[in-house]
Amino acid sequence: MNAEHLRDRRPRGSLWRRIGRSITSRDAKHRPRLGAMSTSLLDDLLTDHLDKGYAEAAARRAARAAGTPEPAGPHRRAGLLLALGLLLAGFLLATAYRATASQAPESARARQALIHDVQLGSATSDRLQRQAEQLSARLAAERDAALTTSETGDQVGKQVRQLEAAAALVPVRGPGITVLLGDAAPSGQVDPATGQRIAVPSDDTGRLRDRDLQSVVNALWAAGAEAVSINHERLAPTTTIRAAGEAILVDLFPLSSPYTIEAVGNPDTLLPRFADSAAARRYQSLVGVYGIKFSAHRAADLQLRAATGTDLRYARPLGGTAVVPSGSSSGSPSVGDRSPGASTPTGGTGGTTGNGPGGGP
Amino acid sequence: MIAALAMLAGVVLGLVLEPTVPLWLQPYLPIAVVAALDAVFGGIRARLDGIFDAKVFVISFVSNVLVAALVVFLGDKLGVGGQLSTGVVVVLGIRIFGNAAAIRRHVFRA
Repeated sequence: MNAEHLRDRRPRGSLWRRIGRSITSRDAKHRPRLGAMSTSLLDDLLTDHLDKGYAEAAARRAARAAGTPEPAGPHRRAGLLLALGLLLAGFLLATAYRATASQAPESARARQALIHDVQLGSATSDRLQRQAEQLSARLAAERDAALTTSETGDQVGKQVRQLEAAAALVPVRGPGITVLLGDAAPSGQVDPATGQRIAVPSDDTGRLRDRDLQSVVNALWAAGAEAVSINHERLAPTTTIRAAGEAILVDLFPLSSPYTIEAVGNPDTLLPRFADSAAARRYQSLVGVYGIKFSAHRAADLQLRAATGTDLRYARPLGGTAVVPSGSSSGSPSVGDRSPGASTPTGGTGGTTGNGPGGGP
Repeated sequence: MIAALAMLAGVVLGLVLEPTVPLWLQPYLPIAVVAALDAVFGGIRARLDGIFDAKVFVISFVSNVLVAALVVFLGDKLGVGGQLSTGVVVVLGIRIFGNAAAIRRHVFRA
């Protein structure tokens, strides 16, 4: 670095006076030499990495050394200054490290706690679901045992079983078909920094919506399916398929792609009828257009569990206390036990159970 | 020797004292660190070139940190904070690389 022109011959004034002089200086020695050095900012950036102050200071020192011998005082002061500066640098590094290290796990920890809560909640829900299934199986067994005692009871039992199957209140198994529906694969873009796939925006056209599932399920019913489930969520006659933000809710249970729709029915008629339906043809063509996943094939043995969330709304036990629908005011003065399970008649043949102090009118 | 010890002491101090960085200062901390690294690398190179000067080092260090933080702060106020910090990081990064290459030439003669 050519710094001879910066030789300091001026008397050492105050800092401000020096700055002022260097700004107002008309002396060619202190003007930046354009042309001789690089004029381009980028060239400067790419070639001159070292602070020019070092070269200037070295030149000043050399000039001073040529004149008078260097005193010992400034040397010690320089060492102290250096130590102080590096102490500061180290402190800054450690502080920044601590700040970054303490920040990142903070959000991760909150996320972890939320995930844990969600998992705990869904585990509880699963456990209660299993318990409900066991209890309803026991209830059905008890009822069947009570009904088989008489001829009419047998008939009523058969009717009840048929109605229950239609209302998706009992688990079923049998042959049928499986329809696979899935969102289009992410467009394959990978974040260059993290290496993770870039999330598909929510308005992406390759995403399935609630009405897609609705039309497929409706086509399956129309093709003669006897029982349908989506991702093992059994569809009852009153089940809704709707959207809530990004998720698709089937009876308040959020589902996500890919969707496996299982339909129990005679596969020999179900599959061709479904494949011939307008919905199936439309999604078949959308496979080529948007890259969604859609396929239907027969399944030898499907097991569908009972639907959830079906409680009695209008039914009343014979002659006994009425089941008051939640939120509605039935005319009955009953203040008895309102839970549907407790008011289920234990026998269809007369013997009713009046539970609660407020009996029938 | 004294320099390395001082830096080590600074790191230990920072880890032991656990200073809490105010929230408004946190966006400028990474930029300040990069600027400090630039000053440190420049100082090492100047030492190897034989033209090191403690005063220049300390002043360049402090002003680097302050100016880098100030530029990002102004950028934040003008709505180009992200781009300006990218610019600062690019410029300082180029300088750090250049100085590191000079240090390498000094140390390994290659």
